[in-house]
Amino acid sequence: MSSQRQASSAAQVPHLSPAELSYLYTSLALPQNPIRPDGRSPTQFRPLSAESNILPGTNGSARIGFADGTQAIVGVKAEVERTVLISDTLDVDQDAETVEGAEESASAATGGHGSWVQMSIEIPGFRDDDALPVFLAEMLRESLVGSVGGNEDNGERHMAGGLKGRLVINKRWHWRLYIDVLLLSQPLSYPLPLLSLTTHLALLSTKLPKLKSTGEEDPFFDDDWAAAEYLYPRSSTINSNPSQQVRPPVTLLVISVGENVIFDPSREEIAVADAVLAISFTRNSDSDTGTDEPLKLLLTQRGIANSETENGNGPDSAAAAEEETPGVWRPRRGGIKRSVLAEMMKTALKKGGVGEEVLAGLEGVEVA
Amino acid sequence: MNDRRRVNGPAEGTRRPVFACHVDTASAPTRPQRQREPKAFRKIALETGLTRSASGSSYIEVQPSPPPASYNSLIPHSSSLKLACSVHGPKPLPRSAAFSPNLVLTTHVKYATFATRKRRAHVRDASERDLGVHLETALRGAIIADRWPKSGIDVTVTILEAEDDRWWADAPDSHDASWGMMNVLAGCITAASAALADAHIDCLDLVTGGMAALVSDDENPDAPPKLVLDVDPSEHRSIVAACVVGYMPGRDEITQLWLKGDSSNAVLEDGDKRTVHEALIDGAVTAAKSVHAVLAEVVRESILAAGQ
Amino acid sequence: MPLDTSTTYPLTKLRLDGRRWNELRLIQAQISTNAASSGSSYLTMGNTSVMCSVHGPAAGRRGEATGSAGSAGAIVDVDVNLAGFAAVDRRRRGGGSDKKSSRMEVLLRSAFQSHLYTHLYPHSTISIHVSILSADGSVLAAAINACTLALVDAGIPMPGLLTACTSGMSGSALTPKDPRSDELDPLLDMALPEEQELPFMTIATTTKLPVGEDQMDEEQETGISFMSMDAKVHSTYLETMMAVGIDGCGQIRELFEGVIKSSSRA
Repeated sequence: MSSQRQASSAAQVPHLSPAELSYLYTSLALPQNPIRPDGRSPTQFRPLSAESNILPGTNGSARIGFADGTQAIVGVKAEVERTVLISDTLDVDQDAETVEGAEESASAATGGHGSWVQMSIEIPGFRDDDALPVFLAEMLRESLVGSVGGNEDNGERHMAGGLKGRLVINKRWHWRLYIDVLLLSQPLSYPLPLLSLTTHLALLSTKLPKLKSTGEEDPFFDDDWAAAEYLYPRSSTINSNPSQQVRPPVTLLVISVGENVIFDPSREEIAVADAVLAISFTRNSDSDTGTDEPLKLLLTQRGIANSETENGNGPDSAAAAEEETPGVWRPRRGGIKRSVLAEMMKTALKKGGVGEEVLAGLEGVEVA
Repeated sequence: MNDRRRVNGPAEGTRRPVFACHVDTASAPTRPQRQREPKAFRKIALETGLTRSASGSSYIEVQPSPPPASYNSLIPHSSSLKLACSVHGPKPLPRSAAFSPNLVLTTHVKYATFATRKRRAHVRDASERDLGVHLETALRGAIIADRWPKSGIDVTVTILEAEDDRWWADAPDSHDASWGMMNVLAGCITAASAALADAHIDCLDLVTGGMAALVSDDENPDAPPKLVLDVDPSEHRSIVAACVVGYMPGRDEITQLWLKGDSSNAVLEDGDKRTVHEALIDGAVTAAKSVHAVLAEVVRESILAAGQ
Repeated sequence: MPLDTSTTYPLTKLRLDGRRWNELRLIQAQISTNAASSGSSYLTMGNTSVMCSVHGPAAGRRGEATGSAGSAGAIVDVDVNLAGFAAVDRRRRGGGSDKKSSRMEVLLRSAFQSHLYTHLYPHSTISIHVSILSADGSVLAAAINACTLALVDAGIPMPGLLTACTSGMSGSALTPKDPRSDELDPLLDMALPEEQELPFMTIATTTKLPVGEDQMDEEQETGISFMSMDAKVHSTYLETMMAVGIDGCGQIRELFEGVIKSSSRA
């Protein structure tokens, strides 16, 4: 209850008049060079400040603040947990098809389980089980555990099975990862990119204690925190290409207005968007250098922020279909064309595109 | 309060005991194989107007793929999607709600406790809320919401039987992503669209859900994964990526898109210029178009029946 | 030998983390950390770190402002969020706010409702949001200090800085104090391991700000405005503990005055 009151006092959702919305839409839909309210270019992000490893009590942590004051803090904690072995798969398999059975259990051992990563998002003014935090957490988690496959490096396979595989200690033990996301103030825009970038940074700085036991023993760890290893390993060799290292995924928000594709939209821009798309991607570590697709797509969701758009708000369009009044916002209905969709994804994922730029930028954040 | 005195059975049910002397390869259940062509669908049964108390309702059922010839286990070899959808409204918003110039759409998706092989809880969990948000997105783009100011509409989907996430005899770890959920979502969209039509809610078009996936071959896992429409997850050892769309064929527009999975290793057939995810989306759209034929026919029939 | 303050202190006169009895942990404070709120602060006391933001004074919601509750003055509304990663073990979320944080909400509300000049803002609400990012002892004291800084940043009038710290005893202190052989020393600013084994209290004091320049060098009038203790201590030790606590609050106040002055100059 108290947080609701804060919500009402802190951030008022902009209620724009039809004329304002129409003006905004027209300027954003200008062919070739859209004019955004804050003067950014279509692919430009809002300025942000980021730091990682800010909390000594966590395995990894990060803070990102936008210039408008929205801040998110992410803390990652890891716990050792016993793997529940369900001696399943009908023992028949292992007797009759020994080869297949062995192969299957091996894949389960390196595969890990998606439920080992737990994510919770706290947004002031929302309850834990409200649709928005649940939906955001589910989406971020899905892309995290969805990434599989690492790269072959010096004959040793890093991060086989992606994040899930990294959490496996041995057949009987695994790490459980808790990712707690804290949004410190009422979101002034759809918080997805902020949360995703912060989570990315926190995971980059996450360290797990060095394992001293080997094989199938009960695990025990090196007490020396300085010897701890990064969750997402950094290559020891200096000349290795950073683009070949496995990195946590990043989720970006992309909107389309008219012909234009616009990144990192503000709340006002989302309000007039034709379509809102969340794209999760990560470095395509499998590709050799020189492939034209440096990033891989993990998850795409259309219209995720639809509750924020002003879709369907306005005069009855069927009655006034022929006589469209210029200067009055007439909301768009329906979905988006496939060509627009493809264009949005291409802009985000192409070589030298926005996605690569974002990952490189995050790489630059000093990990203390 | 928990009932501590009673000893409850395991939540996942029990299996028929398999005695050692009976073990022979012939009788051991084998993973069902997909008999259909990659572009062929399972049969769909769709009906509207079953729930009289609701302003609109529908029921959809997908015929399970036929069991393998040698299958003699008591456990059903694969599950089939069955879900019921009802629409209540448009009705006035409660007094406490804020003014809205539009129709306020709320969606609830709930698995029946007996819908999956492992019993579901009565309380809605995260995945059900997630499905609800996806369904809302899909429908919101199609409904002409400004024709009902100050009103609300509830779309409730009850999943009576859900698609399996994996083959029932697979180890739970073999692949844990909830692929079955994507099939369920496609069904939810189609059913909700039929129920909306049954409730005479003005829409731009009939939204239909379609699902396509990239699956890797069972026989040779190293071959590049191939694109398959209307996937039954229990028939495939590993699904690489999957995509669900909410699609309006009349306008060739997508209202909802959910694509997940790591499609970086996939290779398309020679001469295909599309990227993998474009191919997936196109596949899902093709699936949605086929479902639309069924949906349109059912809606037409129900209108004709009402006219008589 | 267990490694804790109650065993190491009598031998070495040093506490577990190497401090003497009257030493505070390293305190770092920043104000105006969050542009989206009226006032905000970030405070670390050792490994305890707290972030606080203040919204308001803003118009209260209709139901409350018209009622008799809001007519006398502003309502202080506190929301405490204990982050899941704050403690050593990750907290299992039971849904909603837990007992510990709701108790802190009540304590903070009562401390600041009476401290601030709320009568200047009738029919309005001052909402304080406290996030505890890392809990390593003296959490309540850190929260009070962070709130004070954020309220100063928000420009809400108050008679003086309300600062808090914890003080405890170096042993269980259950028997009456023996004036001839006093083995127990009071401890200032408890860390988490000390809090768990030793009795401690949280104490907050405030001053009347000097009215004019000429009164600067006079002894400031200090008053205790908040005290809370959950432990069992023989009453003869109370005075020592309070004296140490009041002294610690004074040290923190001096430090905060520096923080506030330097940030207003910038």
